[in-house]
Amino acid sequence: MNRNAKAGKLCSAELPLVNENGCYEMRLESIGGLGANLCGKLLGELGALYLGLSAAAFSGYGSEKRGSPVKSYVRYCAPDREILQSSPVEHPHLLVLFHRALIRAYPVTAGADENCTVIVNTDAAPEEIREELRLRAGTVCCIHAQELALQTGSRLNMVMLGAVAKASGFIPLEAVRELVADTLGQKYPAMLESNLAGVEQGYHSLHAQSFAPDGRFEAIPYGRAYSRWGYANAPLGGANPWFGSTVTNDLSPSREGYLPLFLPEKCIHCGLCDSTCPDLVFQFTPGQWRGRPAMLNRGLDYDHCKGCLRCVDVCPTGALVTGKEREHPAPQWFVRNVDLLTKESPLDPAGADGAITGESYLDEKRVDGGLM
Amino acid sequence: MENAENAQKSKKTGQAEQKLLFESGNELAAYAAMQINYHVMGYYPITPSTQIAEYLDRMGADGAHSIAMIPAEGEHSAAGICYGASAGGGRVFNATSANGLLYALEQLPVQSGTRLPMVLNVACRTVSGPLSIKGDHSDVMYTLNAGWIILFASSPQEVYDCNICALKIAERVKLPVIVAFDGFFTSHQKQNCYVFADHGTVRDFIGPCNGDPGVLDPTRPVTVGSYMNEPDLINNKYQLHLAMEEARSVIPEVFARYGELSGRCLSPVGSYRAEDAEVLLFVLGSAYRTARSAVDRLRREGKRVGVCTVGVLRPFPAQEIAALCQNARTVLVADRQDSYGAGGGNLSLEIRSALQQAGLTTRVLSRIYGLSGLDFFEQDAVDLLETCFDPTAKAFDYVGVYPGEEGFTPEPCFAPITEAEASRVPIVCKEEGGRVTVTGATVRDTLSRPKRLAPGHSACPGCGIPVNLNLLLRGIEGNVVLLFQTGCGMVVTTGYPKTAFRVPYLHNLFQNGAATLAGLSQMFRKRQERGELPPGEITFIMVSGDGGMDIGMGSALATALRGDRLILFEYDNGGYMNTGYQLSYSTPRGAKSATSHLGERQWGKTFYHKDMPQIMAATGMPYVATAAESDPSDFIRKAAKAQYYARHYGTAYIKCLSACPLNWGDQPNTERRVIEAAVNSCYFPLYKVEQGHTALSYDPEAKGKKIPIADFLGMMGRTKHLCDARYEEIMAEIQAEINRRWERLKIQSAHPDL
Repeated sequence: MNRNAKAGKLCSAELPLVNENGCYEMRLESIGGLGANLCGKLLGELGALYLGLSAAAFSGYGSEKRGSPVKSYVRYCAPDREILQSSPVEHPHLLVLFHRALIRAYPVTAGADENCTVIVNTDAAPEEIREELRLRAGTVCCIHAQELALQTGSRLNMVMLGAVAKASGFIPLEAVRELVADTLGQKYPAMLESNLAGVEQGYHSLHAQSFAPDGRFEAIPYGRAYSRWGYANAPLGGANPWFGSTVTNDLSPSREGYLPLFLPEKCIHCGLCDSTCPDLVFQFTPGQWRGRPAMLNRGLDYDHCKGCLRCVDVCPTGALVTGKEREHPAPQWFVRNVDLLTKESPLDPAGADGAITGESYLDEKRVDGGLM
Repeated sequence: MENAENAQKSKKTGQAEQKLLFESGNELAAYAAMQINYHVMGYYPITPSTQIAEYLDRMGADGAHSIAMIPAEGEHSAAGICYGASAGGGRVFNATSANGLLYALEQLPVQSGTRLPMVLNVACRTVSGPLSIKGDHSDVMYTLNAGWIILFASSPQEVYDCNICALKIAERVKLPVIVAFDGFFTSHQKQNCYVFADHGTVRDFIGPCNGDPGVLDPTRPVTVGSYMNEPDLINNKYQLHLAMEEARSVIPEVFARYGELSGRCLSPVGSYRAEDAEVLLFVLGSAYRTARSAVDRLRREGKRVGVCTVGVLRPFPAQEIAALCQNARTVLVADRQDSYGAGGGNLSLEIRSALQQAGLTTRVLSRIYGLSGLDFFEQDAVDLLETCFDPTAKAFDYVGVYPGEEGFTPEPCFAPITEAEASRVPIVCKEEGGRVTVTGATVRDTLSRPKRLAPGHSACPGCGIPVNLNLLLRGIEGNVVLLFQTGCGMVVTTGYPKTAFRVPYLHNLFQNGAATLAGLSQMFRKRQERGELPPGEITFIMVSGDGGMDIGMGSALATALRGDRLILFEYDNGGYMNTGYQLSYSTPRGAKSATSHLGERQWGKTFYHKDMPQIMAATGMPYVATAAESDPSDFIRKAAKAQYYARHYGTAYIKCLSACPLNWGDQPNTERRVIEAAVNSCYFPLYKVEQGHTALSYDPEAKGKKIPIADFLGMMGRTKHLCDARYEEIMAEIQAEINRRWERLKIQSAHPDL
């Protein structure tokens, strides 16, 4: 907080693109825990204190929790203008996706036009990502940030920060290095070198390709959220008669790459897994066990598993083990919730997105992904 | 409220040296408070104002200020702390939002009526219910009649500026001052901003603290807070009125002096391109800024429009507003709250009255917009301005509402749980010789009972709340009605339009859940008695976090004392996790939290974790128990017993320790082991107090499993610093306290009369 402004040290950056309010706008889409919020704040600070610009940064409020979808917004404009908007970025010049899985779950490209550059953390090529995004036109930049973070011993958000600088076309690498040294270097001096290496790798490892509008995909307009219940049909007083309806949420985006694997032949149906599972994923139904009637573990409903792995920790027989999600995209013992009336009901993509609004407080909790 | 035309260019042209920062409204409120170096801050965390206390605590930990930061157990007490502190004549600061402000509201006229200045920041948020954490102005408008001066800041920069002016104004006219601003839009958005480089600039501007020591001066005994009826009270209120009138001239003076110093001109009303406008929009807060770009857009189309805001709500600048509106044909006042039934929000009503008083016949339209943080895009401002050109526009309306999808009825997901299903696998409670024994409550057996909670809730991975709730409910047979007090457990289960509950559920704010459930359970019995509800049984269970057991302790104790037939269930994760982990009274001593940072001058929370089961036991209630997920069968048995006692005797209370991987700073998969360590270290001993008799459920000493407290505290990021040699003494003190509580418990357990 006491850091002195560096503005003026570097002359004011020229913004290559601005909207009618004179703003260059970025939208960062991520999953809680990957450090997008910090990345957004750093980008804001970069603009204000290192690039000599007016800047603003804020997050999609109410989503600081691990595994929840997170949006972060950054606006820059010339130093002699003010940023007047406090609403989300509708038409980003730079759209940053911290996780490829976000493409599946959300209309992430809403409002992106041909001036938009999309950065995606992935090992895939821009052509493939463009297909997956169903992007009408624009530039796609792919960067395997997860891998680069591992290689450099830095964090995903550091690599993404470097990538943003490069893709923007106007943020000098030197300014980012200085920012990282001043902010994170002070707090975590031991990490500085690897963080700078991460930024550098991010800056130099982009695979970019531009796509002209070729009629293959429609632009997705930026839309506001509406519920199916409105003032004419919602039960009075906010009462909700749709009991148990969170079961229609698909929480698999909350997982961080690992999931419990069930080895039925080792299971003794003791129920300890069920007693430790916060997400009610274990499906027990009546059957016979060692010649006596018992409730038998039929498997897991992976739609609701957040990958906490509590069950693996308590299983006394090793019937539950940790697996990499990528190696088990569709576990064969997947069982839908046995209490459901209809098994066919569609699922809404969701994350573990309760309304925690405080800044993440403890640093320790983010060691494997984002904030350091 | 700043006059926009000359805002930007004058930023750095003041007399005093300033520096550029990139901060949010909350950070700047805290920064100003740090520079002022108030004597006392009494506070209680509530979103979105919480960060102000958090930042101040962090700065205090490193010695940047010497403010006494006092964490109250609720906003009412926080206001009490502030009132008491201000009665000593020093400088006092507070911050709150929404229902926190309303809970403290009773204290606001006390503060102003006894003429004790202080500064309260209000990061504006929707007043519950239904509960929303997002921003609108429904909270601050309740304070219009409180006798406080109210400044409204529209940007983070203005939050800083207003905070410095507020104290000076407060001390000049001897009235407390609110600095209000938009929750989230202003409180959480970071922007370029300027602060005085030297704290001395701020302190010189405000001047030395010359507050009358009042009741702290034994040489001049004074009675503050007289019992005053007619004919005197009206004179006291007239004095308050005169002070408010005096503020009309003091405020511009202070703003002018501040302008010289900072180069930024605050004013009671702000306007943009208003002089020749035939259409004027009035909005408060961040929307004023958004509307300015809408005005530019419409001006480019040749439309004569302008936008105004009000930077001082009390005393209300009626004349200044009327002067701005003289040439306008239509004025639209958009309010982010409604004074239901009055035909407009409060700003709208007051502007109409101001114009009428000035003899103007301007057409005034009123619109309600942006409730609960509904985003206000530039297009929304354009639409409001365009409305003014429509001669047939309604005088009053809501914008942003929609009817919903006609005929929409969601497909049911489950069948309701029947009483028989919920009673599968009988658990038998037998009472003999004053003791109740339970059989049949095992983990394996109770697998066949349907879960009252549905999956798909949004708790963090590894969260202990659903784990503990499920263990409790497994032990409870038949019909249940749940009441949740505000907290993580409620927020992650009932996000509209979905709900995780498969059984009836009621929420109330967390100082009041036990009382609410007492009322509900009585209604059930009365309606049954009168034949309005069918016979049968319902078990009523209140679920609360440890935060709810701080602010709601009085209500819970009173319920236990009355002996209402219900179960109180506390999940204790040792902190206010829903608001980002501030310390609760149950946070371990020494733990770091967002309001007990580590630093040169602080080593975490200063006082011990509250022994809530002993407090509850002192009410003489028939059943008090502690339970832990590391012994699930014991947990289920205790739930069954609690149901038995609630059926036959009165209120039952169960407390469990509930893991929070996010804020404990440990790995989600290890939580059951962490809980087990809490039990084995005797931090969280398992026992029950049945009809006044204490009995251990588990004795780690006898089993040879007792571990030092350091082994438990060392497992969590929030407390592992205590294992450092630097904190050896504190760790030893904590161990001594744990031993004291444990030895006492053992004696109670062994003694037939205790």
